[in-house]
This record gives sequence, structure tokens and C-alpha cells, in this order.
Amino acid sequence: MQRIRSAPPRYWLVLVAVLFLAGLPTVVTSFQASEFGGALILAIAIMGLNVLVGYSGQISLGHGAFMALGAYTSAVLVHKYKLDFLATIPIAGVVTGVVGFLFGIPALRLSALYLALATFALAVVTPSLIKRPEALTGGVQGILLIQPDPPQFMKDGFAAITGTAMTSDQWIYYVILICALLLFWFAWNLVRHRPGRAMRAVRDGEVAAAASGVNVSGYKTLAFGISAFYAGVAGSLFALSTGFVSPDTFPVGLSIQLLVGGVVGGLASIPGPLLGAIFVYFLPIESNQWVPSQSWIPTQVANTVVKAGPAVTYGAVLILIMIFAPNGIVGLVNVGYSRLRRRLRGAADRETGQVPPGPQTV
Amino acid sequence: MPALLELEEVRAGYGQTSVLHGVSLSVPEAGIVSLLGANGAGKTTTLRAITAGVRWTGDIRFGGRSLRRMSTEDVVRCGIAHVPEGRGILTELTVDENLRLGSHLRRDADVHKDYDLVFEYFPVLKERRRLSASTLSGGEQQMLAIARALLMRPRLMLLDEPSLGLAPMVVRSIFEIIRTINQERRVAVLLVEQNAGLALELSSSAFVLEVGRVAVHGDSAELKGNESVRRSYLGY
Amino acid sequence: MQEFLQQLVSGLASGGIFASLALALVLIYNAMGLVNFAQGEMAMFATFIAFALIEHGLSYWIAFPLTLLLAFAGGIAVQRIVIRPVERAPVLTLVIVTLGLATLFNGAAGFLFGYVPRSFPSPFSVSTVSIFGAYASYQDLGVIGVSGVVLLLIYLLLQRTTVGLTMRAAAHHPEASRLLGVRVSWMLALGWGLASAVGAVSGIMAAPALLLEPDMMQTVIIYAFAAAVLGGIESPLGAVVGGLIVGVTVNLAGAYLPFVGGDLQLAVALAIIVGVLVVKPNGLFGRPAVRRV
Repeated sequence: MQRIRSAPPRYWLVLVAVLFLAGLPTVVTSFQASEFGGALILAIAIMGLNVLVGYSGQISLGHGAFMALGAYTSAVLVHKYKLDFLATIPIAGVVTGVVGFLFGIPALRLSALYLALATFALAVVTPSLIKRPEALTGGVQGILLIQPDPPQFMKDGFAAITGTAMTSDQWIYYVILICALLLFWFAWNLVRHRPGRAMRAVRDGEVAAAASGVNVSGYKTLAFGISAFYAGVAGSLFALSTGFVSPDTFPVGLSIQLLVGGVVGGLASIPGPLLGAIFVYFLPIESNQWVPSQSWIPTQVANTVVKAGPAVTYGAVLILIMIFAPNGIVGLVNVGYSRLRRRLRGAADRETGQVPPGPQTV
Repeated sequence: MPALLELEEVRAGYGQTSVLHGVSLSVPEAGIVSLLGANGAGKTTTLRAITAGVRWTGDIRFGGRSLRRMSTEDVVRCGIAHVPEGRGILTELTVDENLRLGSHLRRDADVHKDYDLVFEYFPVLKERRRLSASTLSGGEQQMLAIARALLMRPRLMLLDEPSLGLAPMVVRSIFEIIRTINQERRVAVLLVEQNAGLALELSSSAFVLEVGRVAVHGDSAELKGNESVRRSYLGY
Repeated sequence: MQEFLQQLVSGLASGGIFASLALALVLIYNAMGLVNFAQGEMAMFATFIAFALIEHGLSYWIAFPLTLLLAFAGGIAVQRIVIRPVERAPVLTLVIVTLGLATLFNGAAGFLFGYVPRSFPSPFSVSTVSIFGAYASYQDLGVIGVSGVVLLLIYLLLQRTTVGLTMRAAAHHPEASRLLGVRVSWMLALGWGLASAVGAVSGIMAAPALLLEPDMMQTVIIYAFAAAVLGGIESPLGAVVGGLIVGVTVNLAGAYLPFVGGDLQLAVALAIIVGVLVVKPNGLFGRPAVRRV
């Protein structure tokens, strides 16, 4: 009882968020639920990327390629080998994780910028690499998947609560949610304990970390493997939810979206990936719909924004965020929160300078 | 007549640490002034403050004009040449290119005369013109730094530890050249030195810094003659 | 043999295009240690501007230098407005900013000019001339010529002029340069302007073959990365040599290696990048970086 009462407010926030997400399909349309599912999928991939970039300090602009690998692994296993979809999720994750780990080995030799460059090239080349082994991947036409029906017990439970029949999309939403919760929980534990501390040490100064006895190469490749695992699971869930994979569903823009989501949400934090995923997923959609509906924005401006399309808004917003809030949303919240606490405690306001992108715990 | 360079109650520091706690000194037109003191007393910081390498409060005036809020480049363009600790040699470039960077702002016709002068003082630079500046020895780099500063045709030269890491013979010849430059070209010099004896020989007056403040100042000859000052502040 | 020579000349022409864009990348890398992921998109945007000028009646040989001038100004503007606020930020922030720029330019091009591929005029005819018995198109030779001239001019600017000297000084030794009165911040802006202009050359040379559309340079930038990495990311000469090697290699691989074919040529670029970075990270002409502890 004592533990519950003294739990920090963040824990309550998490509980509320989980309940909200769990209850979501009961109050929104099936389509909206699948949209949220899409955002959650991105959140999973971004969480993985966050482990790599935020916690171990290695930049990857190519995680879309790992998502593609996970997606195609699941798709091929289901389509060709008739495996049950849920079983393929962990398999896709592990396969991608191993590939990511192996990828991390040569990556050790690359500086941050070169790694960004190489992974960027990987992301651009990925569609062509997928097209080649046609027999396996279905080439340009991709692979079509049939989405599974919800199992009976879920149908019954859902009907009991909402009185409507559960759709495939809603069932898939729950699959995604459970994976997301599991993976977020795992990541949270990872960063709290030794692996997390070791990675942060590596990120903040490799030479110092090595001098302190941290196995730098080991942790860096491990980070790659873990982040790829997450991306693989996300890709697999993506295949499940859209029911279709093709080379064009994994363009370079996806990899950029992932990194952007990670940075905008706030690197080296647990809630960051979720916030970033929401930003990245919904901004392009919303800028087309939300802007014209705001009466305080002059029509001329609104029309230009809509016509210019999400890309221009997206690029501009991104640049502005990097200039004014480089630590992302979580960074802003932290700064605001600590300022508030200082004021409440009456501490003298001292100029402490920039908040470095350090570990932000949940 | 107002001094060429005047510092008044200058405070400066890095981040939270304050290094200078109110330094006041002056350098007369065409004078040589030493800035002495132990390690950490704030000598380098003082020079940095003058060329805006560090934030400062108080007043710094050059030729009567306040240097407040000016960027490093602009301060330098007023006629101050700063040879920093470590000499600031652009090792990616050749000796000749380093020299050209000294003279690149000048439009007057005397530039090539100054080159002749520089090569007369430092013949080794002429020999090594086309080579990368990184091939020069410590002493040669110091010569290059001073030559480059000279080519800027400054009114004031700030020299930070020119004798550091150099053989005594080399140091002597460099100091001779500094004296010549000062006498023939009327270039004022503010000289930061650990080697107090040498500095006092060269300069006409000196300021001794201790923990960010001027502890003692006066005529060089007097300071040299004052045993207690020498023992307490100058270490010899 | 004839066919080989033809492929070689084609490869050199592509190489000229890659070399120009790679040089732009190297200029910015030298100025601030950053790979500008938006370089290709900026080049594409400049090419659209050239297109618009030509559509408005200007002759090619007037529109071309005018575009370079505009690209130069644009590059300076980008540095002053977008890059300067984040100059001292960590590498990751800068990478994201350039990605943001890339998205912005791509979207702006689509918004202003539409997504339909256009054909872009070339002053060189596509007819061929016979060299040593092989046929090389005037187009290819023209591209090689123009790229060569531009690259030579940049070389002369950097190595033989005072401005070039101060740019190099500001790039390699910003603090020491300030003490010599060099306006380092403006040198950075100049670097961006120059890079932008050189990139525009790349775009204008590539457009006739690739067809002008917002995504035009997305593959070219990868080849340019490969060229810059191969040549050594700090070396302008390396960018040129790297560009030519990549152009020829990719062309020959596409022509003579059946499993590469047309669509995996990009993968060859990736292979070059990964290969060089793993085996000899500094490329052909780069210097080994000192690890500052």
C-alpha cells in the first residue's frame, strides 16, 4: 500500500495512458482504431531506434530497411509456409534482430556521420533490394495477406462491452497494443539497469567508458540488435495491419520518419517515442484537415499550407523544432517541469545553461 | 596622452568560474608592457578578453574606442594582432598561406616591403615557404606566428608566452626581433610571459597578476631591482 | 571494345554529374563537418528555377549562369537563416535539420512546379561523334566538358585566390582564423553558397537524361555520397576523382554484370560506400582523423 501511495506521479500517468489506449477501440470507429494502431507501430519502431540513437549514441537513417525485413519475413512465412500470423511476429523480430546485430559489427568502425550516410544509402536502396529476389518477395507486386479474424473469446468480450461485433482491425489493434506494452516495458527495464547505464556511458564518451571497463563494442552491437528487433516486430505488425507488403511501402521517407519521430519526441526517454510517433503519423494528415478549419488562420495562409502539402509544413516544423526545442517534446516538458518545481520551491533562479540530451527517466 | 590600450576593472571568466576579478592596466603608444604572474593568475584570460575570446565586463578601450560587444574579427581589424598560447598556426596550410592570411586585409602598397622585412628577420620562413606549416619546429612556428602578426601591420601585438617550449638561444633571438619591431615600427606590445626575467628586460613597465587582480605594477627596472617583489611574485 | 569505350564515356559523363554534387558535399563538410543531406534536393530546386527561366524565354546559356548566381544566393540564405541558429548543436540535430530542409525543398518543388516529369532542354545535341571508332554522344561530351570547367574554376577559386584562402582557413581553423581578422561566419555562408551553385550544375547536367521532377536527385545524391566517401570526404580532388570512378564503375557494372542490370546499380553505390568505410574510411585522398581524447 505504501509503494502505491508514494509512487511518483509519472507512474499514474502511465497507468492512465495504458487504460486509455486499451479502451480506445470501444469508443472510436474501427478505422480510427487502425490509425492509432499505425501510430503505435511507428512508436515501437521508434522505441527501437531510440535505444540505438538515444541511449547508445549511434545514428541510423536506415531503420525502414529493418522494418521491411520484419514485414517481409512475416509475409513470406504466412503466405508461403502458412504459419499462423501471431507466431511469425517474434520470429520476424528475432531474424531482424540478428541481422541488425551483424550489421552493428562493421558499424563499429564508422563515425556518427558516416554511419548516418551509410544507413541513408541503405534506406534508399532497400526498395530495389526487395524487388530483386522475385520468387521470394513477389517482386514489384508484393505479397497480399488475409487478415485474421479475432479469436472467439475476444469477440465475446468485446461484444459484451460495446455491443458491437469486433472487426479484424480492432483485434489487430489489440495485438499491436500488447506488443507495444511488452516492448516498452522491456525497454524501460533495459535502460534502468546495467545495459542501459552501459549504453549511456558509451554514448557520452566511448574512451571514458572503455577506460571504466565497459565492453563498448559489445554494447554497441547489442544496441543495434535490439533496435533492429523492435523494427522487425514493428514491420511484422505493419504487414499484419495493412495486409499488404510491397517494395514501395518502405521508401527512404519511412526511415527518415522514424528518426524524426525519435528526435521530436525526445531521445533517451521512454515516452518520447510514443509522442514522436503521434507527431510523425498525424501531422501530415492533420495539416491538411486541421489548418483550414482554424478560423484564426487567414484563408490565404491556410490555402497555401494545404496546397503546399504536408512535406513543406513537415520540413518547416521540423527545422523550427530543432532550432527551438532540440531535446524534443520530452525535453520541453522536462525543462518546463523543472522550472515549475524551482518556482514552487522558491529556489533562486540560476542560469544553468542548456540541458544536455541526457537520460530522461520515465 | 591617453594610452593605446586601457583595461579598467575588467572581470571575465568561463561559465560559472570567474577568473579575472577587476584587472586594470594600460599599454602606452609604442610601448612594451609585460603581464606576469603565476599559472592560473589570469594572464591568458586577459589577452583573450581583449580579443573577445571570452566574455568580459568592465571597460576595454583601444585607441580611445571601447571594444565592448565587438567580435574577435572586428577587434583584430582595429589593429590588434594576437599571437595566442599555442601560436595559432594553421597547420593545414603552407607557410606562405599562413603569411598571406596575415596580410590579407591590407590594401596599402607597403605589403611587399613588409614581406621583405619578415624574410630578413626570419630567413627560414623564406626557405620553407611552400611547405606545410606543420613541418616547422616549435621555434620556427613561433617565428611564423610573429611574422604573420607583423604582416598585419598592427598597432598593438598581444604575445602569449612566446618563449614556451623554445630553446634559450631561439628565445633570445625572438625577443631581439620583438624589440626591433617595437623600435623600428612603433608597434606596441603586451607580453604575457612566465619567464619574468626576460620579460622585464624587454619591457618598460609590467603588471603582475595574482588570482585575477593586479597585485603589483610599475616600471620594469624598478620591479627587477625590488628583491621582495621578485621573490614573492616573480619566483626568482 | 567499341561498346566498352561508349560505356566509358557515358560513365565519365555520369561521373561528372556525381563529381559536381560530391564536390558540393565536400565543400560543406569542410566548412562545418556536416554532410548536407539536402544537397540533392537543393540542386533539384535550382534546376527547376533554371527550367522556369528558360520557359520564360531566356536562352540556355543565360539561364544557366543566372541560375548558378541564384543558387549561390540561395545557399547563403539557407546558411544564414536555417543553419546558423543550430551551428553549435550536436551532429544529430544538424542531420535532422538538413533532412528537414530536404523535405521542405522537395515539397516546395512539388507545390510550385508539380510532380509531372518534364523534359529539360540541353544545349548539346544527342547526335554522336566518332572517337577511336566508338560513338560518343555530344550530350555526354558536353556534360564532361561543362563539369570539368566548373570543377576547374572551383579549384582555382579555392587555391589561388585570397577569398578561397580565407574560406579554407575558416573551415580548418576557425578560431585561429578569427584572430587573423577572417569573418568566419561569412566564410561559412560563402561555402554554402558555393556548394549550392556547384550542386545546381549537377542538377542542370542531370536533368536532360533523368527528366525533371522533384524526386530527380534522390538517386544522384547516393552516387554523390559514394563518390565523396571514395575520394575522402574532406578532399575536393577526391570528390572529383571519386565521382569519375563511381560513374564509370556503376555504368560498367550495369552493362556487363547481369545480376546488377539496371535496377541494382544503386546497390553498387551502397556497396562502394560500405566497402570504403569498412576498409579505408578516409577514402583515397583523405587524411586519417586524429582521435581527440
